[in-house]
Amino acid sequence: MTAISHILENISNSLNPIVIKELRQAVQGKFLAAVLLIFLGIQLLTVGLFLTDDSVSWSFNAGRNIFKTLASMLMGTCLILVPAYTGLRLAIERSDANVDLLFITTLHPRSIIWGKFFAALVFTALLFGACMPFITLTFLLRGIDLPSIFALLALNFLVIAVAIQCSILLGCLPANRVFKIILGLVWFLIMSSVVPVYITLTVAPGMGILDSGIGSRVGSWQFLAASLGVLVTGLACIGLLAKLATALISPLSANRALPVRIYVTVVWSVTGIGVVIWSVTIGSVAPVGVWTSVQIILQCIGLLVAVSERESLGQRVRKSIPRGRLLRPLAFLFYSGAGGGVAWSSVMIILTLLFAAAITSVYPHIWSGNDFEEFMTCMAALGMFALSYALAASFIRRHILARRVAGCHTWLIALALMGFATTIIPLILFLLSGTWDESWLIGSPLGPFIFIGNGDSDLLSGSAQLAAAFAVFIGALSLPWFIKQVINFYPPRQKNAPKPQTD
Amino acid sequence: MQVNIIHLVKDFGATRAVDDISFSFSSGHIFGFVGPNGAGKTTTMRILATLDEPSSGDTTIDDVSIVESPETARQLIGYMPDALPTHRDMSVHDYLDFFARAYGLTGIQRRQVVDSVEDFTNLSGIREKTLHALSKGMKQRVSLARALLHDPPVLVMDEPAAGLDPRARVELRELLRALSEQGKAILISSHILSELSEICDGAVIIEQGKIVTAGTLPEIASSDVEQRTVLIRPLERQDDLCKAMLLMPHVAAVNDLGNEIEAKVTGSEEICSELLENLVRDGFRIAEFKPQGGDLESVFMNVTKGEVQ
Repeated sequence: MTAISHILENISNSLNPIVIKELRQAVQGKFLAAVLLIFLGIQLLTVGLFLTDDSVSWSFNAGRNIFKTLASMLMGTCLILVPAYTGLRLAIERSDANVDLLFITTLHPRSIIWGKFFAALVFTALLFGACMPFITLTFLLRGIDLPSIFALLALNFLVIAVAIQCSILLGCLPANRVFKIILGLVWFLIMSSVVPVYITLTVAPGMGILDSGIGSRVGSWQFLAASLGVLVTGLACIGLLAKLATALISPLSANRALPVRIYVTVVWSVTGIGVVIWSVTIGSVAPVGVWTSVQIILQCIGLLVAVSERESLGQRVRKSIPRGRLLRPLAFLFYSGAGGGVAWSSVMIILTLLFAAAITSVYPHIWSGNDFEEFMTCMAALGMFALSYALAASFIRRHILARRVAGCHTWLIALALMGFATTIIPLILFLLSGTWDESWLIGSPLGPFIFIGNGDSDLLSGSAQLAAAFAVFIGALSLPWFIKQVINFYPPRQKNAPKPQTD
Repeated sequence: MQVNIIHLVKDFGATRAVDDISFSFSSGHIFGFVGPNGAGKTTTMRILATLDEPSSGDTTIDDVSIVESPETARQLIGYMPDALPTHRDMSVHDYLDFFARAYGLTGIQRRQVVDSVEDFTNLSGIREKTLHALSKGMKQRVSLARALLHDPPVLVMDEPAAGLDPRARVELRELLRALSEQGKAILISSHILSELSEICDGAVIIEQGKIVTAGTLPEIASSDVEQRTVLIRPLERQDDLCKAMLLMPHVAAVNDLGNEIEAKVTGSEEICSELLENLVRDGFRIAEFKPQGGDLESVFMNVTKGEVQ
């Protein structure tokens, strides 16, 4: 064996098997080759048309204008086709025994998700590569600098990576074919709306970063901070989506929530410190505000997921519960399980609100006026509503719909309750009274946002008080359910190995 | 290597799919796993393959528990599900190479293993064919080849003969015999009971998640069943024999079939033996005495009611 073949063999052995499989399938299939050829043809035609037009080709902005068109085409293709291709393939594979079979190999579910992701990134890089000769030409045609080209391409690549991971998560959802088709159509509609907006924001005249060029700003602190912020946000999103997708394809018996909760807690801590530094540096509470909103909304979704988790732990999870009395309460928060999940999300919501309040107290100069106080009230109300509706849904499922609705679908009841408070109750009151009153949304999780938008402090305060009362009431009703799960959270006491009956 | 299924229970909500099942099988033996649809066969097999977790109970492969050490257990088990491989745009060889990589095989070892498994399952001639172009029988071979890649000492096969034509069934049977001779412990479920009778050393019959009967095939055949059929061909006095038999204990019914008599006897093989003894003692000359129902299919039909969960 020659040195080169030895090196190639080592590379081949160290590659993720999923990446190799995906690339082999892509090479044997016709889809990718067809997309590449069509894409190259359209670019060639576009550049040709531009160059044959004298008014464009002799302009000092010729390179920039052609680049904008090429970048838009690249983004449109990559943002719609690559995530759709990846998500669809995974959804098809997930619908039969293929993913199941991978679980009985030594391949970890994490490797499956990252393998799919990296394979999709290779496809994206291929499309970017196909675009490179034409983009190089735009630099030669003047009107655009290299840092601007690289910055925009890097940003685009990051956005595509997030979209790919998002589509992988959707492809992993355990659903029937009809639901998957509906989900795919919704995803396609969303992307069809988001892609033009994104392209407009990045390359449209007067809006994008290309018109002014960024060559002179590359070394500045502001540029580096913004770039770092975008990069960290993008990577954090990819990481979270990957953790969620991994949890979805992991066996039901696995401790699926543990890696997700650890990841979210770590990201919460790291980004919390980051936004404080950012807010203090720029003298504005905005970064802390955005961070708080994102964390609260994430945890509200987390509450809906938590009440849909299993209430009694399986043998594998129970065997991994720490025996130490100090570690066990911590493990209860982080391990899979409905009670622990509700507790963890509630603690994270409280910590987020306390953290944001503490920052504005320690650094009062970043806080101007009472806007932030109202914002905090709105966030607290949202968190309490989410907790209340999630617990109410769990209560209803256990006591009324136990035989009709599986535990894993409790989130649907919670959404129905929220929808009822947001649409049905106001509609009934409207039909009865004949006039519209904003206060009818006081029990809706969307109410606090509407009240804060309209500057109605009294209704906002009332909404928060109602949410608090609801949370205390349903919390008291759910207490026995919660305590039962806390009591049952202990490792097995003895090995269960009775003799077989039949030999 | 001994596989022990120990008080296995699996609940899906309020439904108990597997209800306290215990049995064992060992290296060099093929064990049939039989039951009506919805009896809990696939659930049990998925638990064995570490794909599902039991609600209680365990399965051990020698000393390795699938609940405590699923990762180690996976190295010992080759699982062949009832679903066939459906990866698109993938050749047989690429499919097996992919799973060999997924099992952590590298370099020359991986190539050798894939080649030998292809040879053993007779796939070498079609290794470059894409999966979706294969017949069902060929897909079953690919599925078996995939399960053999990491050379597991235990094979768990869920309905491997389903939908196969007679030739493919014979070929599969030969492969299973060869694997058994290699010392593998094989648990196989099938609805084709005549096939199982020919290759299995033992069997477990389950219904509604519970074991109805289990053991080696002779043990199952001789196990107590409610009623068995005996065909008797007397040399003479056929009418008298019919009348005499109706008066004997344990004889539920007698049918004169012309050349022979069909008697429904309630009880075990010992009862049949006593019946023959009594007939001879009473002076009847018997040319043939054939108790029916010793095959797996008859036992299955006798002991199961065809009920699902």
